[in-house]
This record gives sequence, structure tokens and C-alpha cells, in this order.
Amino acid sequence: MPANKKYLTKSFHQRFAKITAAFLGGYLITVTFFIALATWLDQAATLVTMIFGGFILWSAIMVCTFLFRNGWVAWLIYLAISGVFGAVIFLSTMNTGT
Amino acid sequence: MTNRIYNILFHTHTVSGLVISVALYVIFFAGSMSFFRDDIVAWQRNEPIGEATVMTYDFERILDTLEARYGDLYGRNISIRQVYQERNLMISLKPSQDSLASEKAKKAVFTYLDTQGFDENTYLSGYNLGEFLYRLHFFAQIPYPYGYLLSGFVAFFFLFAIITGIIVHWKKIIPNFYLFRPGAKLKTLWTDAHTALGVIGLPFQFVFAVSGAVLIIGSIVMMAPASAILYKNDRIAMRDELTKQLPHVEFTNERLETYARVNDLVNSVRMIWGNALLSKIEIDNYADVGMRVTVMSQPLQHDRLLGMGRMAFDGATGEVLHEEHPQDAPGYVFGADRVLRKLHFGDFGGYGIRIIYFALGMATCFVILSGVLIWVEARDKKNVEPWKRKSNAWIASIFIAIALSMYPVTAMAFAAVKLFPEVDQPMSFIYKIYFFPWLVFSILFSLKKDNYFATRYLLITGSIIGFIVPIVNGLVTGQWIWKTLHPEQLQLFVVDMFWLSTSLVTLFVVLKMKREKNTIKTTKATNRPISMTSITS
Repeated sequence: MPANKKYLTKSFHQRFAKITAAFLGGYLITVTFFIALATWLDQAATLVTMIFGGFILWSAIMVCTFLFRNGWVAWLIYLAISGVFGAVIFLSTMNTGT
Repeated sequence: MTNRIYNILFHTHTVSGLVISVALYVIFFAGSMSFFRDDIVAWQRNEPIGEATVMTYDFERILDTLEARYGDLYGRNISIRQVYQERNLMISLKPSQDSLASEKAKKAVFTYLDTQGFDENTYLSGYNLGEFLYRLHFFAQIPYPYGYLLSGFVAFFFLFAIITGIIVHWKKIIPNFYLFRPGAKLKTLWTDAHTALGVIGLPFQFVFAVSGAVLIIGSIVMMAPASAILYKNDRIAMRDELTKQLPHVEFTNERLETYARVNDLVNSVRMIWGNALLSKIEIDNYADVGMRVTVMSQPLQHDRLLGMGRMAFDGATGEVLHEEHPQDAPGYVFGADRVLRKLHFGDFGGYGIRIIYFALGMATCFVILSGVLIWVEARDKKNVEPWKRKSNAWIASIFIAIALSMYPVTAMAFAAVKLFPEVDQPMSFIYKIYFFPWLVFSILFSLKKDNYFATRYLLITGSIIGFIVPIVNGLVTGQWIWKTLHPEQLQLFVVDMFWLSTSLVTLFVVLKMKREKNTIKTTKATNRPISMTSITS
């Protein structure tokens, strides 16, 4: 039995929002999260963790994205989260002067 | 889990799985063969070497040979490795830093040196079937970087597909594990096989999805932004932090009259670390006052999983500059990277682990195959529009034709490289004998549109040619399978035995195959191509 269509997203722009939020938004959160962590924890160890943990986190975010009812809300939340991580990165690289 | 979540994730599993199916099948098929890469290379060249002989050579003689061929080694940085269990050493000579060096000595050299007879090969002249299959499994034949990116993202979407797959299957994971209904309709049969083998293979598949993505696109996709932000794209600073580099030694432009002999240094390392395998020799500033010789080694397989031994000597005095024991814990940064590689290459447990990995790889191929067939069977219903059912059936037969042709085509390639051992351009020869028959088989069997027929005859062809492979090898080289079962020639035995056993297994499968009889009557009326096999015992 194929998946029951009544639960699936029908409108194009919603589908587009979900797929892009899953792939691009998920990537943005993953990368900013690990880089922010690296400015705080041991840098080399965090980056080595990122190289494999990044793919796992990214795919987990991708799975979650499709559970949103509204794909644009997913985008909004993802941008906010990566914005926070981005601010952490910005502030800590400013402080160390690197 | 609500119905909504179940259906959404089910749909994402279906779509992601279908999109990557063909590429993923090729990756797993070629990748599973690549566990035996070194054996295939040794078998093709008829140049087996014992595991214990790796990096046990007269390095002075090798350096003398290089000096005779490429000019004075003075001031060059030299590295000598034996990455694979094959006779060739990989040697790199950097241009001499001496400004008065001859033109010859100012050229960089990268060469493959045969440790018996000292013949040299370039990458192209030494190209072989083992390398071909290994590269096929990350689509290196597609121009860089597109092939790498494609295979890397296929690995990543595979990770997505197995995560959604296991969530969808979660509630029935235990009861359905014991469920196998070979007598039921095809859709049920494929579903049972897909879920049971999927669950058994899950840890294996998870490891390969993650490590595959890491090895092929990890540095581009994950590390590039980190490198830009944290290191301002200073790749050397990043490399120094992520890998354990020894401090740089300067070239002094002052020639040494006498310097340490590499053989003596290697022997002293062997004396101190009796239980380690030599992996690489690096010489900085050869014959210069700033000369340094670094000997690297790995712990033996049964001692430790991870470890990097490194002993650096001053070339002038032979004094030890740096020492890291191969049995010491190598630390997280080095260890994490190495563990991913070891898990992916399966080189931590001898042939036992390779055989298990190969079997799990084939099981994964079957999971991919059955996944596509479930998709087709599930949509082959009266209420689906006829043109859709027709095109779905087309997709299935094209997929089956492409996927299953790989088996006979690979067997043919093995026979062909034995029958034509001396060709001018090994790379284009292998491309021709592999891609051309693959294309022809794929087209013919797609046009036939009979999945039972395609499966049966592709498996039979593969099995017959597979039986012929060890015979061809025996006839051409005289290395019959019963002669090669000893440590020095084990690599030859492994490949012959591989074909013998896979051929037996597929022959058995073919003999057990029956054309499906209990299809639902209505489907036959719609001129549906006769569906896949059912294997009943």
C-alpha cells in the first residue's frame, strides 16, 4: 500500500518550502551548530566530530522537517536557530580576534 | 506514532529510496567487490604477495635505483609507501631544493615501483580491474567533482532513507522480523524480504551511509565552511591542528658527506617495535644537514585497532628526534578519522570480516532491489491508470536489467583481463569490456520487459562465466585453484574461490526459481509483464 495521500502535502509551494528547508535549512543549522560548538569546546575534536556527526544531525533535521504542517514555519524556525548559532560564532571569533 | 507521521515518513522513505536506487545499487555492488581490491589486483597481475612481506625491502637499493633514474636525490623530500597489499611501492620525490641541482633533479616524480625487478609503472599503465571496481563504487569515472558529489549525496540520502525506513517499520519490527511468506503474493514476499534484511543490515548500512558520505564529501560539505570561518581558509593551519604533523625541518644547503642509512634506521625501528607493521617512510632534505628520516608504523591487527607509531631520526647523526609508540592510544582526533576509514574499508579483521561485509553488501543490494519491486507491485492495481501501470512496469524492468547485468558483466571483465593480459591502454580496455556489455545487456533485457526472464538468464550467465573465471586463470597462468592455497598465494586463491562460491550460490538460486503462478487473476488481463521470480524452497 502506498502512503495514504490525504496526509501528504499537496500544494507546490508547501512542498518546495519543506524540501528546501530540510536540505538547505538543515545544512545551515548543522554547520552553524558545530562551528559554534567548536568556538567553545576543543576545536580540533569538535571539527572531527562534525565531519561524521554533521551528516547524522543533518539527516535527523531533514526527517523532522517533513513533520511540519507549514513548510515556511519550518524555514522561519531554522533561520532563527542558525541565526542564534551564527551570533555565537560571530561573538566568539570577535573576542579571540581570529 | 500518528497516522499522519507514519504516512509522511513512509512517503519520504519511498521517494528518497527510489531516487537513489540505481546509483546506490551500483555503489553497493562495486563497493562489495572492492573489499577484495588488493586480491583482484594481485590476481589480475598474477603477482600475489604475503601480508607479512609488506614494506620489508632493501630501501638503500630502492633509493640507489631512484637516484640512477631521476638524478641526484640531494635536497629532495622523499616518501615511500605501500598502501595496498601489492608488489608496487608508491614513491614520491619532491623537486630538489638545491638551486644548483640538475634539471632532472628539479622535477617532481610520482611513480609505482615494482619491488621485484624494479620496473616502474604510472597510474595509467598499472590500471587494473581492482582499481576500476573500487573507483566505480564512487563514480570516479564521471568527471571530477560530479562523480564524487553524486556518490557522496547518494550516501547521504541513503542515510535519510534508512532512518525514515526504520521509523516507519518501528512498530512491527519484532513481529515482522519472523515473518516470511514465500507462498504469498509477490508484494508480500518483497515486503517481508525488504524489512527483514533491512533490519538485519541496518547497523552495517548505517555505518556505510555515514562513513561513505564522510569519506567522499565530508571535507567539501562539512569542513569547507568550518575552514572558511575558523581558519580563514588557511588550509595549512587547519591541517596542522587536525593531523599530527611533525615540525618542519629547513633545508640548509649544506651537503652531508655521510648520513644515516635508511635500512639501519628501519631495522632499529623494527628491533624496538617488534610488533608493528611499517607503513611509510618519509625523508626530508635528503643528504642535507637538515635531513630527517621518519619511519611510521601501525600496530598489528590482533593487538590494537588504532595506533600510529612514528620515529623520526636526525639524518646526520641518527639520533632520535621524535618517538610515538604504535601501541599508545592515538587520541580522539586521529582515532575518530581512522575508525571511520577502518569501518568503511573493512581492513581490521582479515578475510573473515571482508566476507561478512560482502554478504551484508549483497543483502543491501537485495534490499534496494526489493524496495523498487514493492513500489511497483503496490501500484499495480486495477484502480491505477493503465499508462501509469505500464510506465511503472517499464521502470522495474529497466532497473532489474541495469542492476542484475552487473553480475555477468563483472564476471566477463575478470575473464577478459586474464585472456588479454597485455594491452596498451589498460584503462580504456577495461572501460570498453565493462561499460559496453553492461549497456547492451541493460538495453536488451529492458526491452524484453520480462523480469523473471531477465533475472533467470542474467544470473545463469553470471554463474556460468563465474565458473569459467578460475578455469581461465588456471589455463593462462597455470595457477590452478588447488595449487594456490598457501600464505604467499592466498590472494590468487581468494579470487578464484570467490567466483567459484558466488557461481554456486547463484546457480542454486536459479534452480530454485519458479515463475510466479498465484498472481491475482485480474492483473494478467491487463497485459502486465510477467512479474518477478519467487524463490521457493
